[in-house]
Amino acid sequence: MFSLSYAWNELRRRIGRTIVTAIGLAAGVGLVMAIIGVSQGLSDAQGKALSPLKSVGTDIIVTRTVAPTLSTATTTTTLPNGFGGGPGSGGGFPGGNGGGGFFARGGSLNNSDTAALAAANSSVITDLAKLGPAGTKFTHDFFVPGTLITFPTQAVNTVARIKGVTGAVGALSLDALHESGTVPKITASIKTGSQTISTTVKPPVLTAAQQAAERTCIEGIINKQLGSTTTTVPGSGTGGSSGGTPPSGGIGGGGFRFGGGDTSAFAKCLTPAQKAYQQNVVIPERTVTQVLNPPSTNTSTSTYTVAGINPAVTGSGLVTKAQLVKGAWLSATPSVAKSQVLVTTAYASQKGLKVGQTLTINKVGYTIVGLVNPTLTGDVSDVYFSLSNLQSLSSNTSRINEVLVSVASSKDVSRVAKAIKAALPGATVLTSASLADQVTGSLANARKLANDLGGALAVVVLLAAFLIAGLLTLSSVSKRVREIGSLRAIGWSRGRVVRQIMAETLGIGVAGGILGIGVGAAICLIIGAIGPGLSVTSTGLAVGASKVSGLIGQTTSATVAHTVHLTAPIHPSTILIAFAGALLGGVIAGAAGGWRAARLSPASALRDLG
Amino acid sequence: MTQVTINETDDSVPEAPLYALTDVTRSFTKGGVTVNALRGINLEISRGETISLEGPSGSGKTTLLQLLGALDSPTTGQIRFAGRSLEDESDKVLTEIRSREIGFVFQQFNLIPTLSADENVAIAMAPREPSHEKRQTRAQELLEQVGLGDRRGHLPSRLSGGEQQRVAIARALANSPEVIIADEPTGNLDSANAKELMSLLDELQRRSGVTIIIATHDEEVAGHARRRIRIRDGSLASDSRP
Repeated sequence: MFSLSYAWNELRRRIGRTIVTAIGLAAGVGLVMAIIGVSQGLSDAQGKALSPLKSVGTDIIVTRTVAPTLSTATTTTTLPNGFGGGPGSGGGFPGGNGGGGFFARGGSLNNSDTAALAAANSSVITDLAKLGPAGTKFTHDFFVPGTLITFPTQAVNTVARIKGVTGAVGALSLDALHESGTVPKITASIKTGSQTISTTVKPPVLTAAQQAAERTCIEGIINKQLGSTTTTVPGSGTGGSSGGTPPSGGIGGGGFRFGGGDTSAFAKCLTPAQKAYQQNVVIPERTVTQVLNPPSTNTSTSTYTVAGINPAVTGSGLVTKAQLVKGAWLSATPSVAKSQVLVTTAYASQKGLKVGQTLTINKVGYTIVGLVNPTLTGDVSDVYFSLSNLQSLSSNTSRINEVLVSVASSKDVSRVAKAIKAALPGATVLTSASLADQVTGSLANARKLANDLGGALAVVVLLAAFLIAGLLTLSSVSKRVREIGSLRAIGWSRGRVVRQIMAETLGIGVAGGILGIGVGAAICLIIGAIGPGLSVTSTGLAVGASKVSGLIGQTTSATVAHTVHLTAPIHPSTILIAFAGALLGGVIAGAAGGWRAARLSPASALRDLG
Repeated sequence: MTQVTINETDDSVPEAPLYALTDVTRSFTKGGVTVNALRGINLEISRGETISLEGPSGSGKTTLLQLLGALDSPTTGQIRFAGRSLEDESDKVLTEIRSREIGFVFQQFNLIPTLSADENVAIAMAPREPSHEKRQTRAQELLEQVGLGDRRGHLPSRLSGGEQQRVAIARALANSPEVIIADEPTGNLDSANAKELMSLLDELQRRSGVTIIIATHDEEVAGHARRRIRIRDGSLASDSRP
């Protein structure tokens, strides 16, 4: 085929050319290795940051968000009690927490959904009057579902029954609003009274009969009194004389004694209209405006996020036991877990919390049993309760708002996602792929750049290296015209000459490959040592973007900005690719040289010589 | 045009000549200009002859040498070599013929600079002898024949011009060819080395009976030949046996 010793000697004794060509190939191959390494590093970083579902043993997350979702499902699925409104009713989410149907037939959010959402979030209003007497210091935590609507826990069973699903666990992810301050003095002094209301009353005129009756009555009384009086002391009367009759001897000289006698006696003679008189007095309408001093409060508001997880499930869920950084996991015993929480390392460092400390929420102390570091993009919460605990804290008994689903095979993910959508119309079904799209930051940019340009750059670099190697070989062959002509003259066939040159350039390719792997590895190690930082910003699940926190102008840690340090890992496949690239470069160079050599006729070689 | 037939011994059974050239022409077109390098050569060469080809530069010696060496094909005419026509043969067949039947010695020696003396000899056997050891053994024998047994491991750059040309002769003999074609073999040698080289060729010819065709300007070299052919303007000017 070819002479190995000849090829070896050529490489060895023309060491300068061998080294230059090999360095050309090595530079190309090394750069390609570095590009692949960086690309791989970005992939790994993305894998860590952008594929959180995998790391929490979850392939699919089922939620129901406010965002309108259209479902084309037309089949009627038999759902457990409490699920779903009537087909075509467009309802399916009765108000409040009561027995809401899971998802509306027809999919999109309707009025009742909106109302339910508003009702669920309405508890955020603080009634200062109910917090105690003025001066009382208060803290209050509200749990609201934000835009992530709750649904009955039966959805977990519905999902678990779908073929291909290996596990489904429910979780409750809520926004928490923490308010603290002092109950203000809520008083207002409004002056009233000091008003004069005058009205003229005209008693009705007595009828003749009434006058007669009254007169008769009075006369009767007078007569009665006169009859019983034996002694009359003239002028001793104290009361006013009724007058009329001039005093005369014997009879006159005195008045009626009303004062000392029964003065109410005459009252009996009055007509009912004289006894009690009633009249409506209308006070004219007017507006009283008075400045009130508003209550002085020092209420401050902060937000955080909470989630309820099933402590018994440690391998999948919003946070897994593998992500426990310090301390212990929530107790599997509900009565113990009831007073336990997990907090994220980020929230712990922000608030200066440590394992063993007590976190007081609505006057109840919860022991921080562990610190967790959940993945970047998932629905990251600050504080994790046991699910049942948070359900009762937030009045969401037997309700969840997320189902985390694990699937037997990654190939099944899209099929299972479709099946879930069909079984739970209106569900928002998120897969790893859809989550990754929500990540921004320089990592995403770099990844995009690597995707867009990395391949092209690698190809360009490799082509440049091949070109260099090809040209060097071509030049080398051109300098060996006499040698090659002589070989042809002494009986070497074209094929043998070409193979010989190929063997030499393959040897250079091997050298270039080995050298290039060294160069590439060095570049990758340097990149790893420098570790340029890449920012990753994630808004978490779709719910994160429009949570309550956003409404009040604050951000929660659910929007996470991380810095990922770039590494350029060297995978065996990268080394193989680099080596294969160098060999290919050798073959290409050999082909170039061989093509040149094959065109040399032995005669022209001799002419050249002669 | 002169047709010359030479037999080594007049009384022997007539043997087919090694070469028989009939009306051989060779023209080249360069830049639209046609150059007739050879204009109707008729020539027969018998086995075992030592022939010198003489003529001024541009007379067509090298072209004739190329045709005789199966390095080129004639434009017209016939070349029969060892009983077969060369003019229509493929590159593959011509390569095979060169490998088996023809040895070359060049003015510039044309040794592979990266190979030692014995490797240079052995490389000529590579197309026919797959065994590396056998090639090396034969190379060693040949180097001893040309008096370079002790220089086998030297690179050409470490050998004198005369030594390099002797290595080239050893290489030309590697495949036991019918003919050795030497193009100005002493052109790059001093007179002492040239003399030595010619003595070596004479001796080889005597020992192996190989046919030797030497193109030369050197009268002294030409004097070693038993037949001298002169070429002028692409035609045979004279063909004589001193």
